[in-house]
Amino acid sequence: MTQTSFASDHKKWINEQLFDTIPLGIAVIDPEFNLVYANSAFEQLFGSWKHHKCYNIYKSREDMCSYCESTLTFKDGTPRINEEVGYDRSGRQIRYLQHTTPIVDEDGNFPFIIHIFTNITEAAQIRDEYQLLLDQVPCNILLIDRNFRIIKANKRLRDWLGDVQDRYCFETLKGLKHKCTECTARQTFTDGQMHTGYHSWQSKKGKILHFHVITVPLKQPNGKFDLVMEMAVDVTQTLRLEDGLKFANTFLETIIATSMDGIFAVNERGKITIFNPAARKLFNIKNNQVVSREELAAMLPTGFLAQVSELPGHVYLPEIEVKTINGEAFPVRLIGNRLMADDGAIGMAFSVQDLRKIKQLEQEKLEAERLAAVGHTVAGLSHGIKNLITALEGGMYMLNSGLSKGNIERIQKGMEMLVRNIERISIFVKAFLSFSKGRQIQAKYCDPAEIAQEVVDLYAVKAAKLGIVLKNEKLGDVNPAPIDYESMHECLTNLVGNAIDACQVSEGAGCHVTVRTFEDDGAIIYEVTDNGCGMDYEVKRKVFTTFFTTKGLGGSGLGLLMTKKIVQEHGGKIDLESVPGKGTTFRISLPRLRLPKVISKEA
Amino acid sequence: MSAAKKILIVEDEQDVLAYFEAIFQDNGYDTVLARNGIEGFELAKSEKPDLIALDITMPGQSGMKTYRQYKRHPALKDIPVIIITAVNDSFKSLLDELNGFSTPEAFFNKPIDPEELLKVVAGILSE
Repeated sequence: MTQTSFASDHKKWINEQLFDTIPLGIAVIDPEFNLVYANSAFEQLFGSWKHHKCYNIYKSREDMCSYCESTLTFKDGTPRINEEVGYDRSGRQIRYLQHTTPIVDEDGNFPFIIHIFTNITEAAQIRDEYQLLLDQVPCNILLIDRNFRIIKANKRLRDWLGDVQDRYCFETLKGLKHKCTECTARQTFTDGQMHTGYHSWQSKKGKILHFHVITVPLKQPNGKFDLVMEMAVDVTQTLRLEDGLKFANTFLETIIATSMDGIFAVNERGKITIFNPAARKLFNIKNNQVVSREELAAMLPTGFLAQVSELPGHVYLPEIEVKTINGEAFPVRLIGNRLMADDGAIGMAFSVQDLRKIKQLEQEKLEAERLAAVGHTVAGLSHGIKNLITALEGGMYMLNSGLSKGNIERIQKGMEMLVRNIERISIFVKAFLSFSKGRQIQAKYCDPAEIAQEVVDLYAVKAAKLGIVLKNEKLGDVNPAPIDYESMHECLTNLVGNAIDACQVSEGAGCHVTVRTFEDDGAIIYEVTDNGCGMDYEVKRKVFTTFFTTKGLGGSGLGLLMTKKIVQEHGGKIDLESVPGKGTTFRISLPRLRLPKVISKEA
Repeated sequence: MSAAKKILIVEDEQDVLAYFEAIFQDNGYDTVLARNGIEGFELAKSEKPDLIALDITMPGQSGMKTYRQYKRHPALKDIPVIIITAVNDSFKSLLDELNGFSTPEAFFNKPIDPEELLKVVAGILSE
């Protein structure tokens, strides 16, 4: 093997064969741009070429290119290299590098030009994709050198901060005159590892954004690197949401912890997640004591948990009994909410309000009202007694003066007066005893309108005889309610009886009495209206408050007092409107929430 | 001797009315009887009594209203009125309700002392 044998034999081979062996397309054109010669790699790329102009083949054009490098090289003989877009033999678009080199003859002219092609279609596409990715990825990307100068920035960052190339990163991003004390890029420069950090960057207008930053070394195959790529994701919005969430959380926790009402919650698996101090106090549960779902279910009304978890919205029980963990029952107002997220139930939340204090206050108020009524009754009683004593004294006077004058008629009259007023005393005493004792209200579910109907039926004959039109009206639906039937019957009997009496006193014809039963704003209402004599101010003022009668011997003066007492024992109130000569309306209002409890049959 | 003085008694309790009638008649007065305030006003106009004994608590129209009617009426406003009532209010609280009307000549709370009543009536009528 000698060098000389290579020079002679192989040079010959190269000169003859290399042209078709080389994997680069090579073509030769004349000054008219006719393709005059080409190798097989060229044919592989562009197809057959004979009798064609270069632009016919490279660019699939009929006319010459408007800008032509080869024209220039024919003139000045300078080799050129440029990137072109053309079409391959199948018509697919390709990208290639074109080297343009003149063939120089002995006279120094350029009769032909050689074109050498490098197909870079795939590389160009990868490069374009990379650029697109770099510019469009939703984060800021920059390359930093060891001097902390920005070598390159993606479009997103340039759009935000303008031209940043060759400037210091700390200056550009943070407006600092020196390097940052905590520098994520420096960590990567130091150990060649990936690092993360949080940084706040400032725009030229002073707007501050917060970034989660990742730095990675841009390593060469030998492991060395002089550039770090920094990727910064904008977390400003996330941080703001986190802050909002933190605030909402603290706010809620404070409210729950300090609420006067008991608040507790269970998650979707039935585990108790919240049991606030008020709830612990109510249910007598120690601060660190864990409550199981079974224990919770036992404290709440039977089936309540299931009811809340099955019904949409919330379940509201205005008055219900629950139990402490030790099984002691007490009345509460209870609300259960099913908590819903986008994809279904996430648990239940409950609020519970202790009704014991409220109940006690209500009881005390009723008792105070009862005592006041007794006080008024005693005052009224003394009024009645004074009249009785005066009448008795009158009887005695008639008797004595009749005796001394020997006047039999007067003696007889005196006796009658004494007997009559002693009889009145006994009526008074009986009525007063029944009032002061009363009887325990015994509420049972009944139809409020039925009581009114029965009272109206009771007076139907009497009213018809007196020519009074007596009507009963039920307006809309009135649901059954816990009421002491007998007592309410007595109330309405008193009111209707009074109304009929008022009609008798008045002289005008066409008298009517109407009883109405209806429901208004959660209360059962009875109205008894007449167009009888009505009442003036003095009578109205005293009608409920004294042992008051305007009916002389006809009334005990206790009917309305009794009525008021019964209404109050049902948690309701009674009032009246009256115009002298026009008539009177009494209105009993019984809020359902305050109605007495039903006395169970077993009890 | 002048004619007997006439007293109008307004009282809804029949037995009390009979009692007062007997007392006044036994002591030389003429009496006119009214069972309620409306009657009491009409009789006062037609009978022109020298004195009125008026109850307060009566059906239909109270004695207070009747009293105001008297005091508003030109021919009746000067007739002396004695209030005789079983209400527990004091005379003073009754006066408070008058709202500027002149005060009654006397006030008696039931039960009454007949001698005291007659003494006061005689005193008023002798003026």
